[in-house]
Amino acid sequence: MRTAGHQHALVGYALEQLQQVPDVEVYGPEADERGGVIAFNMTDMHPHDIASILDQQGVAIRAGHHCAMPLMRTLGINGAGRASIYVYNTPDEIDILVDSLGEVRRILRR
Amino acid sequence: MSLDIYQENILDHYEHPYHRGALETPTLEYRDLNPLCGDEVRVQARVDESGCLVEAYFEGAGCVISLASASMLMEAVEGKTLAEIKVMERQDRLDLLGIPLTAMRVKCAMLALRTLEKSIHLYESAATAPPAV
Repeated sequence: MRTAGHQHALVGYALEQLQQVPDVEVYGPEADERGGVIAFNMTDMHPHDIASILDQQGVAIRAGHHCAMPLMRTLGINGAGRASIYVYNTPDEIDILVDSLGEVRRILRR
Repeated sequence: MSLDIYQENILDHYEHPYHRGALETPTLEYRDLNPLCGDEVRVQARVDESGCLVEAYFEGAGCVISLASASMLMEAVEGKTLAEIKVMERQDRLDLLGIPLTAMRVKCAMLALRTLEKSIHLYESAATAPPAV
């Protein structure tokens, strides 16, 4: 129960933070109906580029179709980045994720 | 820290690609995709009577690596004969980019070359096929 509570609180915080970023689009339901993953994209940027640049900042996310190509087609996207949150993550790490999106922007929107 | 894959020459090709667009009357054409990441590319080219590839264009959707490598490939193959292009190896392709890539990103870098090879194969099979009855 403590694990689930921690995860829900952190997913809620991450959604709140990511939804405030103008060029970030988050997919999926509100926090209370979610597991520990948040799929997202940044305007005009490929998810693999987002993931590679975040990786250089020490932030590990997954990128691509997530074994759900028909869903990606339905959403009209060619993939998504996906942050996974679990018991060992902290609010500070969510802040680092959101801050690191600035580096993606700096490199790809010169 | 590892060598930066988003270095200047790669981003230059991504932002100002060489021959991204369409040819009106291509001799070769093929469209392919990488189902793992969703990247898609179409390669078109014009070949003269001597088997030399005189113009090559690409169009597609993908990440920086796949689009920049397509752009570099178009530049590199123009003026080469089909025979010369067919012997281009995976390493020649990666040398053009000049950056170390993980296994996943190597697939992005190889997409345009693989697509061009398939278009050449189709073109040559059509040229040698027996006439339809």
